[in-house]
Amino acid sequence: MATRDNIIQVKDLKKHYNQGKIKALDGVTVDIQRGDVMVVIGPSGSGKSTFLRSLNLLEEPTGGSIHFGGMDITKKKSKDANGNLVKVNINLHRQKMGMVFQHFNLFPHMTILDNMTLAPVQVKGMKKDEAEEKAKHLLERVGLGDRANAYPIQLSGGQKQRIAIVRALMMEPEVMLFDEPTSALDPEMVGEVLEVMKELARGGMTMVVVTHEMGFAREVGNRVLFMDHGQLLEQGTPAEIFDHPQHPRLHDFLSKVL
Amino acid sequence: MLSAAGFAKTWKYIELFKEGLVCTVSLSALTVLFGFFLALFLAVFRLSDINVFRFLSRESQWRLREKGGFVYAASRFNPVSFLATVYVEIFRATPMLVQLFFIYYVLFAGVELPSFKLFGFIRFDRFVPGVVALALNSGAYLCEIIRAGIQSIDGGQTEAARSLGLSQWQNMRFVVLPQAVKNILPAIANEFVTIIKESSICYTIGVQEIMYAVASTKGATYRIAEPLVIATVIYFCLTFPTSKIIAYFERRMSRGDKR
Repeated sequence: MATRDNIIQVKDLKKHYNQGKIKALDGVTVDIQRGDVMVVIGPSGSGKSTFLRSLNLLEEPTGGSIHFGGMDITKKKSKDANGNLVKVNINLHRQKMGMVFQHFNLFPHMTILDNMTLAPVQVKGMKKDEAEEKAKHLLERVGLGDRANAYPIQLSGGQKQRIAIVRALMMEPEVMLFDEPTSALDPEMVGEVLEVMKELARGGMTMVVVTHEMGFAREVGNRVLFMDHGQLLEQGTPAEIFDHPQHPRLHDFLSKVL
Repeated sequence: MLSAAGFAKTWKYIELFKEGLVCTVSLSALTVLFGFFLALFLAVFRLSDINVFRFLSRESQWRLREKGGFVYAASRFNPVSFLATVYVEIFRATPMLVQLFFIYYVLFAGVELPSFKLFGFIRFDRFVPGVVALALNSGAYLCEIIRAGIQSIDGGQTEAARSLGLSQWQNMRFVVLPQAVKNILPAIANEFVTIIKESSICYTIGVQEIMYAVASTKGATYRIAEPLVIATVIYFCLTFPTSKIIAYFERRMSRGDKR
C-alpha cells in the first residue's frame, strides 16, 4: 500500500497517568487510510475512547506520535510536507477532523442553525448566509430541514446526534471521529443515527468509530480494531475479527457481547 | 420621632437628596462597569494555565511527568493564577471601610486629582477614589461568581467547540461565557444590588451620595428620622426595580432551556 494513502499514522501512542502507574494507552500503532471505516471495539476501560480522543488531541498523549496531513501533531513543532520545521497549530488540524460525542454536546443556547454555522463563520470566515444555505442543505439530507430554528432542548436524542454529525460536516473534515455515538440513545433511535453514518461511509468518508454496535462494525466497517488494557490486541477485517478471532481476550469479549 | 413638621423641615433640603441620588447611581453604575471587567480578567487569570511546564517541548513534558516529584510540581506553579487568588482573598477577607480608607488616604494621598465638580455638584477628587475602592472590592466578589459560572459549564461544550477548530478564546466568547453569564445572572444581580447599598459607605470620605445628604440635612435641621426615611425610600426604589429588570432579562435569556 502506498504511504500517501495514509491519512493518519499513529505510532507507539502512550497515555500514562500517575507517573506511569496507570496506562490508559500503552503503545498503540496503527495506520488509518483514506476511505477507511475503522471500528474500534473493546471492553469499557480498554482505552478505545482515549485513543479516539487522542487523535485530535482532546486527550494529550504522553508519548508516541500522530502524523496527520504530513505533520506530527503531538509535538509543538513538526516538519511539514516540504521538510521545514513549523509550529503545529492544532486548531487547524481539528478543523479537518470532525468529532461526534456520546452526549452530542450541542450548544444549548443556540438554534440548530447557529450551532451549525458558528464554526464555519468564525473559524473559516465563511459568509453567514452562505453557511446557512449549506446548513439547510445538510439538514435536508438528514431529514431535519424543518428544525433549523429549533433549540437543542426541543429535539430527541436521535435528532440531536444527527445534528451533531452534520455540524461536524459543515467544516468539510477529511476524517470523522465517532465516540460511542449511539450509547446514550434510546434503542429505537439508534437506527436513525447509524443510517446517517452508513450514508457517510458510502460517500467515501474516512471514519474512526468507537462503538458497541457489533452489527454496524460488521456491516459497515472495513477494518476492526480490538483494544484491551490500552493495547491494540488484534486488528483485521470484520470477517477475520468476528468469525476467526485469534486472541483469547477477543474470544472472551465476543462471547459476552454477541 | 417622625413628625409632619420634621418632614417639612427636611423637605427644604430635598435638593441634596436629588443630588445624592444622581451621585449614588453614577457611583454604582461605574463600579459595576469597572468591577465587572476587573472580575472577568481576574476570573480568567484564576482559571488560566500559565506555567513553566507549558513552555517546555512535548518530549521534556513527557519526561518530567514520568519523573514526577518536586520539580514537576514546581513547573506546574501558575504565578498569574496565584496573584489573582491572593488579590481576591485579601479583598474578600478585609472590611470594605478599611479598603476605602486605605485607597482614599494612602493610595490617593500622593495623587493630585482635578478638583472640578461632576454635574456641577459631585466633587471629582472624592468621587474617583470612591469608585476605585468599590470597583476593586466588588471585582473580587464578582470574580468568584464568574469563576463558578465558567466552571459550571459542562466540559463537553468546550470539547465540542475545540473539536470544530474554535480557538480557546472563541470557545470562551461564543460557547462558554454566554452560557455561564446566563447561569450566574441571579448572583450578579444580587451583587449589583449590594453595590448600590454598599456605595453608601463612600459618605465617610465625603462623596455626596444619599447618606451624605442625610448627614447634611441632620446637621442643618437637627432631624435624623425623617432624612433616614427619605433615604430608605430612595434606596428601595433603586434596588427593587434593578432586581426586577434583571429577572426579566434572565427569563428572556433562558429561551434555550425550556419551551
